[in-house]
Amino acid sequence: MKRIILFLTAILTGIALNAQPTGGVKGTVINRNGRQPVENAKLTLMQGASEIAAAVTAEDGTFLIPELENGMYTLVIEAPDFLETQVQVTVNDGYVKNMFNLSLTAIQRVAEVDDDSFAAFDMDDSGYNDNPTILFGSNDVFNNIAGYNFSSVRFRARGYASESQDVYLAGVKMNDAITGYSPFSLWSGLNEAMRSKETTNGSEVSDFAFGGYNGVTNIFGNATNVRKGLRGSILTNSTLYRLRLMGSYATGLMDNGWAFAFNVSARLGGNDWIDGVYYRSFAYYAAADKVFNDTHKLGFVFFATPGQRGAQNASTQEVYDLVGDNMYNSNWGYQNGKVRNARVRKTNEPIAIVKYDYTPSDKFNASATALYRFGKNGYTALDWYDAQDPRPDYYRNLPSYFYDANPDMNRNNDIKRGWSDEVWRHSDMYPELTHINWDRFYDVNRIQTDATGKNRSKYIQEERHVDQQDFNLAATFKYRPSSAATITGGLNARINRTEYYKQVADLLGGDYFVNIDNFAERDFAATPYKLQNDLNYYMKHGAAEKIGKGDKYGYDYYAQVRNYGAWLNGKFTFGNFSANLGGRIGLESFWREGLLRKGLFPGLDETGKKIVVDGVTIEPTYEKDGSVVTSYGKSKVSSFLTYAAKLGLNYVIGGSQRVYANVGYFNDAPKFNQVFLSPRTRNSLMDGITTIKTMSADVNWQYSADGINIRTTAYYTTIMDQSKVMSAYDDLQNAFSNFAINGIDQRNMGVEVGFKVPTYVVPNLSVQGVLAAGRYEYTSNPTMTQTVDNSAEVVMENVPVPYWKSTLLPDGTVKQHYVPSTPQIAASLGLAYNRNYWFIDADVEYFGESYLDMNPLYRTNHAVYGPDNQLTAQELEYMTAQERFDPAFLVNFSVGKSWYIHYKYQLGFSFNVKNLLNNKNVKTGGYEQTRMVDNTVSKSQYYRFDPKYFYMAGTNYMLNVYFRF
Amino acid sequence: MKKILIALAAFAALVSCQSLKEEWQPVFTFGDNEPAEMKIWTEGDLSKYGFAGSFTTIKEMKQQYKKKTALENRMTSGHTITENVWIKGQVVSDDKSGNLYREIYLQDETGGIDLKLGKSSLYSDYKLGQWVYVKCQNLCIGAYNGMPQLGLEPDNTTTNEYETSYIDIQEIINTHVFRGAYDSPVAPKAVSESEISASIQAGFYGDLWGTLVTVKGLTYGDEIFALLYPHGILAHKKDNPYNRIFLSEAGTWGIDTWSMSKAKYVEYIEAGNFDKAVVGSGATKYGDILSKPRDYASQMGESVIAAFGPDADITYKEMMIKYATANYVSHYFKMGSTNVQVRSSGYAKFADTKLDSRILGGSKVDITGILTIYDGSAQMSLVTAPDDADNPSVKIN
Repeated sequence: MKRIILFLTAILTGIALNAQPTGGVKGTVINRNGRQPVENAKLTLMQGASEIAAAVTAEDGTFLIPELENGMYTLVIEAPDFLETQVQVTVNDGYVKNMFNLSLTAIQRVAEVDDDSFAAFDMDDSGYNDNPTILFGSNDVFNNIAGYNFSSVRFRARGYASESQDVYLAGVKMNDAITGYSPFSLWSGLNEAMRSKETTNGSEVSDFAFGGYNGVTNIFGNATNVRKGLRGSILTNSTLYRLRLMGSYATGLMDNGWAFAFNVSARLGGNDWIDGVYYRSFAYYAAADKVFNDTHKLGFVFFATPGQRGAQNASTQEVYDLVGDNMYNSNWGYQNGKVRNARVRKTNEPIAIVKYDYTPSDKFNASATALYRFGKNGYTALDWYDAQDPRPDYYRNLPSYFYDANPDMNRNNDIKRGWSDEVWRHSDMYPELTHINWDRFYDVNRIQTDATGKNRSKYIQEERHVDQQDFNLAATFKYRPSSAATITGGLNARINRTEYYKQVADLLGGDYFVNIDNFAERDFAATPYKLQNDLNYYMKHGAAEKIGKGDKYGYDYYAQVRNYGAWLNGKFTFGNFSANLGGRIGLESFWREGLLRKGLFPGLDETGKKIVVDGVTIEPTYEKDGSVVTSYGKSKVSSFLTYAAKLGLNYVIGGSQRVYANVGYFNDAPKFNQVFLSPRTRNSLMDGITTIKTMSADVNWQYSADGINIRTTAYYTTIMDQSKVMSAYDDLQNAFSNFAINGIDQRNMGVEVGFKVPTYVVPNLSVQGVLAAGRYEYTSNPTMTQTVDNSAEVVMENVPVPYWKSTLLPDGTVKQHYVPSTPQIAASLGLAYNRNYWFIDADVEYFGESYLDMNPLYRTNHAVYGPDNQLTAQELEYMTAQERFDPAFLVNFSVGKSWYIHYKYQLGFSFNVKNLLNNKNVKTGGYEQTRMVDNTVSKSQYYRFDPKYFYMAGTNYMLNVYFRF
Repeated sequence: MKKILIALAAFAALVSCQSLKEEWQPVFTFGDNEPAEMKIWTEGDLSKYGFAGSFTTIKEMKQQYKKKTALENRMTSGHTITENVWIKGQVVSDDKSGNLYREIYLQDETGGIDLKLGKSSLYSDYKLGQWVYVKCQNLCIGAYNGMPQLGLEPDNTTTNEYETSYIDIQEIINTHVFRGAYDSPVAPKAVSESEISASIQAGFYGDLWGTLVTVKGLTYGDEIFALLYPHGILAHKKDNPYNRIFLSEAGTWGIDTWSMSKAKYVEYIEAGNFDKAVVGSGATKYGDILSKPRDYASQMGESVIAAFGPDADITYKEMMIKYATANYVSHYFKMGSTNVQVRSSGYAKFADTKLDSRILGGSKVDITGILTIYDGSAQMSLVTAPDDADNPSVKIN
């Protein structure tokens, strides 16, 4: 109303003065993706902080703002489901300035899915990680479609591990210092605050980071990048949580140079598909920007996502078949009739950011960011002392443990199989046997009464902590000495101290738990000092500590990480041709610092003398280099010089086509968790640690004109000298063992195609599709060293894993082994309709060539030859085979609409249904167990334990209703 | 505008209520919500499972055993009880010390029975003195080297060494074994040599087997028995003499601990204690452990040598270290003219505890444990450690 009055006043004044201006602005607002007109977009013309005029686009996206004085204006374009855009307009000589096409970037629907759909796969604690890549890229047709449609099958772009995807926040690299994993869960639930981001693909260099070979995403995260206004949304979905409430408010940049933004959310409830998985997560975000002048800008951000969520677990196919449900989750059980999950992720890791931007001229700008992450990150699990394994799907509880059709397995009791089968097939009648039996834990703990009348808990719920103190400094600059050259560069430093420990989360009806090593007791029961998790306490008090709720126990150590780096990139433009050349160099170092002296590996005392316990001098064990194996104190420091170089070439053809290519070489340090043999117990490092060498190249062609968007890419990458450490129980050693694998090489090559093309038959209807066809395979046979956890005894040292890369069968057939956990062929084809703020998408997807994660132990001669040390063709094929998942077809459907009410309020919804065909047999990941059956009749071969799988949910939906003003 | 807000609020309320009702609330995440106390079964409760009101004594139940009632497809089997037989007894053993494994012993006024539950760490659930009711219908009473055991029908293994198998299946346990009231632990019965001899004479049906006893006045017999399997993977069957070593008939072999943990076993081997031990069993003897299987190739045959693989070319002694594991040891004690073996597991927490020098020196000792029969000899399994601070199983006079 106010604007109308102003407008009328202006008109009346103009008439009065009889000097009506003749200038103006016109154009067409279009969707950048698809080039379709955007109807009802709101245009506001500003001059400084003053609003001069407003308009709304017509059905064909056109607009006209007439009668403007000559001058410079800012045109602000807003439309539901699009990012707000500002363009500068100069009106000269009384002409109507034709802006032609003003393109808006659509807000990505994938962001509404919630990053938690990815965080839920984080099972690193169990030695298994299966995080997919999150694809962003509002201006990239491939990422637009694949990012949304492929998320449910744990698609990894180009087959790369998720940790290769660099994720930045306010210019600071946020990938986990210890594991390298992308840290989306740190801000999940803050979709509004973290919506603005910029991305690059593959080896492309961005302005804020040099990046690796799997793209870079930078989330701005500051106040001025949060959409102005008050917004609220309610979301419900059937695979994660029932309810998400979210609200945000942002002032935009105010006249006084300040901008404030706030975002809060809550995610609550269970879901339709996986029992025990639930959310009780909250999130808050507050940010302020102060623009002092054109040169100086300061930003502050503080946010956290405190909360908890229940986790899912993988099971064997036998279990899924018995219960008739591939979504069975063994993590939960009833307590007092209520569902309780044993595996709960509890996090509260606030992040504080201060960012300074310096823009002294149009040719130079720089920024510096300090970021501090701290808080708690816990993951609960069951722990037990000298008690039966409480996992319902423990292999001894399953029918296959009692009977197997193969007589060599020596499992012959069909009666027991029948009983077990009966229980599992009627799991609803036997919840205490087919799910965790919480009540029993209380029953057991309540009767373990000691001489003092206290009950010693046999079962507890522990909370494994990975608490980070992560301090980062990053500075970048951009210098444009001429229109033909742009120099970007930066410095970064990271100091990370992560404390790994566990604490008692719940004594489950008991009064205390005793801090001793259950595994050590099996071998050294008669030597009490060896059982001690905290030998210093034992030496002081003469007994192991009795611990209560909240007390630390088990292990406690720091992972210390230091990273320092610098990078520089030059981009040079010569007409339609441009090239960029850059490099980075860095120093990465890490070490372990044990905070507990463990009885198994006490090392030497502070003065370098042997430890004396109970009157006995403990002879230390020694590493190969002669140093003492110890659990306490600082380990050797592993340092790596890292470096990388990139070359990019780009040629623009006629304004609508672009051909570009990138090549890069990367020499990266391994991560902390890839090189310590058993960080929970000692300082020992694996031998032969070296940097990971990656060479990556891609060639791309992009077409964008007349509503047609196409991008094709061919890529080729080799990754050499990777390592990893696994810990698992080894039946052959009857001991918990560590397997250190060194020298894993792989090759990833393939093509990506993404397109969106108008049908030309039905207006506003486009055909869209993507194809990601790759071949991600292993190219080397690594070596493996196995040590026993209780003694540091080396069982196998640098033995080859000769069937890792492939298996040559006696008939000459070569069975290649592949990089697992992502479909190597993924395709999507669909229709997209977009008109008058309606959008309707329908897609059919195909996923194929997905493989199960391999266990190296099964690919050693030791396992393949069997106990009789005789190699047979049957053993070779059986033991080394890698499972390929069945291909899958999926159908997804989305619909959405938003309404602009009085050009002031916006109400909208989006509703999508995934997996319309209700296909419940799509394996999305899994892993082979390390264990083998050795108690056979023939004693001629070993048998593998069944692998464990994750499945995709059947038909599922998400409904989001939002209101903005 | 107002309508929109009302609609939004209604939607939020709907979704929230749905969450609270069906999904959110049942997910137990915090607060005091401890389960009620465990159910203690009484005789009155058991009718639900078919209890007719009277118990059979353990002795009577054991009488149902008739050796070699073989099923058609089995060489050996115990007797599967088909009638609605119930017994009750008090728990007289636990596996806390690690000397017993996957079994508990129940005792009533007529005798004891080894109940093969097939679960580990049973002392977590079954306390000494606790009353336990067992529905024996469909369970199997059998013998292991003469010792009465109650379990399930045997596994159909190729060796068929056992007449019963572990019950194993929790649902079978839940419907056949009922934990009753807690009571004071049963006092061990002091037994005389004549009582032991009488039980031995009675064989399987002896009254003492499976009961908690104290045998007084025992003296150390300076002899042990142990059966070692040098190759950890090759079958441990009776018909594999090439993978068996008996430590017997030659004193104690320098073993001065109640049994051998893995570490202690290696220590004994490396110290040369077993260098003169002979590979083989029964009439088939090969030679000492300082030789390699290949050295005995002419006796063993090439198929056996092939089964050893590369291990055919290392000495048995090296093989024993390579595949070392914890091992049980039976120490012989004498009560008059009767031998009583005290058998201890290598996995017992007291495995590496040394026998007191006074025992080795000939002092008389009183030993408390579960009395069993093994191939016509009396054998004891200690429940607590010999030197347990609260309740030692071995007392030196």
